[in-house]
Amino acid sequence: MVLTERVAPAPVKSVAEGAPPRRPNKSQGVAYLFLAPWLLGAIGLTVAPMVVSLYLSFTDYDLFNTPNWVGVDNYVKLFSDDPRYLQSVGVTLRYVAVSVPLKLLLALGVALLLNSLRGLGQAFFRSAFYAPSLLGASVGLALAWRAIFDTWVDTPDMALTTIILLSAWQFGAPMVIFLAGLQQIPRDMLDAAEVDGAGWWRRLFSIVLPMLSPVMFFNLVLETIHAFQAFTQAFVVSGGRGGPADSTLFYTLYLYERGFTEFRMGSASAMAWVLLVVIAVITAVLFRTSRYWVFYGDER
Amino acid sequence: MKAHKVVGLLIGAALVASGCGGGGGTASGGPAEIKFVWWGNDDRAKLTNEAVKLFQERNSNIKVTTSFQNFQTYFEKLSTEIAGGNAPDVIQMDYRYLNEYAGRNVLLDLTPNLGKEIRTADWNQGFIGSGKLNNKQVAMPLAQNATAIAYDPKLFADAGVEEPAIGWTWQDYKDRAGKIQAKNENKIAGSTDFGGTEDVFETWLRQRGKKLYADDGKLGYTKDDLKAFWQLSKDFRDAKATTPPELVTTLNAGAEQSPLGKKLSASEHSYDSLFGGYNTVRPNELKLGPYPSDSKDSLGSYRKPSQLISVSARTKAKDASIKLVDFLLNDPDAGKILGANRGLPANLKVREQVSQNLTGTNKVIFEYEKSVDAKLGDAPAAPPKGDGAIYKLMQRTHEEVVFGKKSIDQALEDFFGEAERALS
Amino acid sequence: MKRALALVLSIAALALVLYPIVWLVSASLTPVEELVANLRELFPGSITGSGYAQALDGVGGSTFWTFLTNSLVVSGGAVIGNVVSCALAAYAFARLRFRLSGALFAFSLLTIMLPAHVTLIPQYIVFQQLEFTDTFVPLILPKMLATDAFFVFLMVQFMRGIPYELDEAARIDGCGPVRNFRYVVLPLSQPALVTTAIFTFIWTWNDFFSQLIYLSSTEKYTIPLGLRLFIDQTSSSSYGAMFAMSVLSLVPIGLFFLAFQRFLVAGVATTGLKG
Repeated sequence: MVLTERVAPAPVKSVAEGAPPRRPNKSQGVAYLFLAPWLLGAIGLTVAPMVVSLYLSFTDYDLFNTPNWVGVDNYVKLFSDDPRYLQSVGVTLRYVAVSVPLKLLLALGVALLLNSLRGLGQAFFRSAFYAPSLLGASVGLALAWRAIFDTWVDTPDMALTTIILLSAWQFGAPMVIFLAGLQQIPRDMLDAAEVDGAGWWRRLFSIVLPMLSPVMFFNLVLETIHAFQAFTQAFVVSGGRGGPADSTLFYTLYLYERGFTEFRMGSASAMAWVLLVVIAVITAVLFRTSRYWVFYGDER
Repeated sequence: MKAHKVVGLLIGAALVASGCGGGGGTASGGPAEIKFVWWGNDDRAKLTNEAVKLFQERNSNIKVTTSFQNFQTYFEKLSTEIAGGNAPDVIQMDYRYLNEYAGRNVLLDLTPNLGKEIRTADWNQGFIGSGKLNNKQVAMPLAQNATAIAYDPKLFADAGVEEPAIGWTWQDYKDRAGKIQAKNENKIAGSTDFGGTEDVFETWLRQRGKKLYADDGKLGYTKDDLKAFWQLSKDFRDAKATTPPELVTTLNAGAEQSPLGKKLSASEHSYDSLFGGYNTVRPNELKLGPYPSDSKDSLGSYRKPSQLISVSARTKAKDASIKLVDFLLNDPDAGKILGANRGLPANLKVREQVSQNLTGTNKVIFEYEKSVDAKLGDAPAAPPKGDGAIYKLMQRTHEEVVFGKKSIDQALEDFFGEAERALS
Repeated sequence: MKRALALVLSIAALALVLYPIVWLVSASLTPVEELVANLRELFPGSITGSGYAQALDGVGGSTFWTFLTNSLVVSGGAVIGNVVSCALAAYAFARLRFRLSGALFAFSLLTIMLPAHVTLIPQYIVFQQLEFTDTFVPLILPKMLATDAFFVFLMVQFMRGIPYELDEAARIDGCGPVRNFRYVVLPLSQPALVTTAIFTFIWTWNDFFSQLIYLSSTEKYTIPLGLRLFIDQTSSSSYGAMFAMSVLSLVPIGLFFLAFQRFLVAGVATTGLKG
């Protein structure tokens, strides 16, 4: 039996389509009892604030005075009258496109490396490589990063690279998940392949990667969403302003500047909703493509 | 179907209920509880809390809770609290932010209290105006500071050049900085590149009889002015008298991150009130001197409120809040406790009293201000809404020039386009 | 032989990866003047504990221990609240059948994608109306209500991997959903629970923004807030203390991780479902 799905099993789609299978549940009431805390939070602390922020995105809300309705003005202006907005979109896309694959490749590489240790100090290495993921969000570490990459941080061509490296450095979290996935691959399957004369690369591409694909998918979706929302590291490394010369003006950084230092919360809300839609579309696309490359054990 | 109007109305009502409406004052003398917030560090917190404690001892019916952050996070928190209807009663305010807040009717007009509940007899009357906007006294200056050149006298001496002193010109600065830099084989720059700093630009403009903002809140300078200023900065770069591009972004960082603090530059434009920070990282190595100026009469520097203090327009304890403001500004015992932590005290009697027993950095700052006092002007009106954005814009566009991403002319086009948008 | 090579490679990679952390620790022991002058030298000429002394003294009348206690309360409350509430919600989504299941779960996924800054002001107003500002409630209550959809997602994914035959068996034994949850699904979900606990702890521990917004009095400050007070750029700086406090602030995370990390992976491999 293949157990990879316990690490990152079936895609959400199948849940939405009416899992769990074979098990009619008579009392729906019990389900809502389990859901009660979540429902309360979802309504009071998520839906209501979301509705408010959606409404505010159509107003000129400035944090202090009663908002006035301005229609789609905020949205139109973002794309027609704001070169910095487009700059922030460009920076963010570049960051996502480079940092996510880099981080996942590093995670996969190190996971394979540690897996081939076959227990030799593996637990130690796993924890040690995981350490950066724990510390990466801290202010002190971001400052250390600034100091280590002293001259890079302050040149427009390299500043973004510094932040990408800081993100890639925290490959430990996806690495742990990859490693767990690797350990689910039955040894005998790999041994059998080796006996049949399959080399290391052959086994990697024919057995390991397909069996890791659900984990890969899980990591890819989460890291992509995360990368779009990257904020703290860019904030600390660039001293909060996305410099030099706007080269690290992340989307969320600009959104934040709009809302909290320029007090244009209406416009900031519009930016957030655009981001939400973009992330949702990209996630949907990832799910759509997943059927071509993600391999689930139970589909055999 | 005007659904959005219904939603809008509901949300509007919620926002108003949450505190966007007006607040009533309590009867004077009754028990009151007020919240006082400021930005600063631990030293300032200790002194301020001590002063607040004394205030509470004298006014047993007033309870004061305090809170402080560092500068940047302070304003993040403040805006959220005000938006959430939880504004503090007494608010330390920054000159540059004054209009952002006052322009949105967040700050109480103290005009009726001037000279009464808030005593001003011992003040430099011109200085009081720095807290005024559209004829409303929305803040009181807490303390005074002024622009200055912070420099390393040893590097000046080693290169055989004179230290900054009143009467020196920008040409002098460039020559001396160039010599210092040559002497140190370009490892230590003669000056820190100043072209992206609005504070320096403002001082430079004032030396030429102009202002950063006209009375109507529009830009007080032309493209030619800014072009000349950026050209001046470029001349410094061309003469190998200033820091290389990689260091240009460290402007406005803390003293410990600035080129002078890191000993990568011999001098930089700054404020005298920041001297304590420099002195921490380079103890007893640095001095303060005046800006260079091409004008015989004007240094361009002015008595700037290093911080101001305001009362929230929505306070429920107006009288108690005003009492605390007056206490912090004018009480001799409070003055004794607070010393020169925020800069030169605004009340001249308190300032005199503080100057009697000064040590360390405070002494350096006081002596510097004394040496230039005759040349200091009154503060202009607080910068208009949008100045915060323009401040960053200037730094950003100048960076683009320094890194060769844009020519000066192209940067000027972009700057003025965006600046006008920010002010509209 | 292969293992030896892998070992050498692992050690080399590790040295590279840990360099910034070593740098940070070394910086925390370097005297301020030297720190500023030679910001990139790994080994200081002399070592000082003054940064640590200053960091332990704290800021604004509260010591480091106050910050530590507060951070522990907030993070501990968040961990418990989050694990319990997310497990409950995930169980409903993963193993129970109800009409709005699909729609609600899709919605919860959507909220993962929502940038936090936008709901901040409306949320603040909610807590302000409930008079919960300057308490730990706004930091813990959302966790008790499973507002972090990421963890619900994680647990749902995990619980869906537990064979449904087990539910079936439990049902035949007379277990209702509640007992099935308590005695079958929950124990088998241990790896997901531990993962959630670890991540919640770390994220809450490092979270700066909401703690900043909701806490006002210095005696309620948490470690990230205390740390930021050391970096005031407008007055005299405590550079060495800042690095020292950074190190101190990371120690509890390290300890927490060391205590629980073995569950993280070991749990996945040994959930009793082999074969």
